[in-house]
Amino acid sequence: MKDIRLVVQRFDPSVDRKPRYVEFPVPFREGMTVLDAILQARDYADHSIGVRCSCRQASCGSCGMKINGKARLACYTQVAELRSEKVVVQPMDNFPIIKDLVTDLDGFFDRHRELLPRILRADEAEMESPTAEYLMSPEELDKILQFTYCIKCGLCTSSCPTVGTDSLFPGPQALAQAYRYTMDVRDEGGGERFELLDTRHGVFRCHYAGSCSAVCPKGVDPALGIQLLKRHVMSAKPPRGNGEGARVWTKGS
Amino acid sequence: MRESRLMLVQYVTAAAAVVLVAIHLLLQGVLVPYGTAISFGTVLSAYRSVISIVFLELLLVVVLVHGFNGVRIILHELRQTASWSRWVDAGTVIAIVASVGYGTRTILLAVLMGVSS
Repeated sequence: MKDIRLVVQRFDPSVDRKPRYVEFPVPFREGMTVLDAILQARDYADHSIGVRCSCRQASCGSCGMKINGKARLACYTQVAELRSEKVVVQPMDNFPIIKDLVTDLDGFFDRHRELLPRILRADEAEMESPTAEYLMSPEELDKILQFTYCIKCGLCTSSCPTVGTDSLFPGPQALAQAYRYTMDVRDEGGGERFELLDTRHGVFRCHYAGSCSAVCPKGVDPALGIQLLKRHVMSAKPPRGNGEGARVWTKGS
Repeated sequence: MRESRLMLVQYVTAAAAVVLVAIHLLLQGVLVPYGTAISFGTVLSAYRSVISIVFLELLLVVVLVHGFNGVRIILHELRQTASWSRWVDAGTVIAIVASVGYGTRTILLAVLMGVSS
């Protein structure tokens, strides 16, 4: 492969009425990622291409976009792996467009926060200033470990068909994190979260399309977390709670 | 009613519908030939057996509850306003009650015809 044809969807909501596609020839080099190609086009062909990126190593989740029709991280997608000389980049679905490939993630983070993605303890004073160490066994950690890898890139939410139709649905990212914290043995806030999840537009609106898990660049399986969360909400029993948290280790114990 | 309860109803009626519809199909063309199964005499004789009547009523309720509850879920995803939610929930209950009532009426009429013939 010598050159690739990078096709960028351009759209500025303050100026344009509908998106347009602009093609840029970009010289291919070994190990080139799609983000490299976009930055090359921006640096040498058109400075006005709107793209968001930061770490360039699939850690920050800034460069989520649709690449040849599939939601991916641009920094984590090699041009060679696409096996195509034509690379079409578009902003993520299900998000408002700020400009070109940059989407507005405010609503996404709001939904994440609404489901209390933090450890909640019944004893608020202890929660704010812990006096002891709360232990967790490797088996207990294993239940939630994959969900802690979430980098909040929004790819799962962009590929979720329910998010596309139901604006009040929290989306796979927020739900998977609700599961992660509910299953954390140190947490006692499951009941509080269940109140938020057991609604007309809550966890049961997930129809298990599974596209969230298919696109996650970190190997998280949000669809699994959501189905397990449904089971707990259905039984109305948070896995922990009523003071039955993790074993507490204090100095000298 | 909480959404988790409504979804539990949805799952239970789905499982029940699979069993009931399977039995219904077995009696309507597999174990009993289709031509015989839909003959006037066979149909009326079904309404002389209490087990058969209970089975038909159960099939009616299970399938209608499952079907209308499914439509309710789709309608909730269509729009997301509070008033729409209330109308959809109320409409679903009305639709289920009306349909089950109409179906039950048909079963009762057939039972009366079966008894009187």
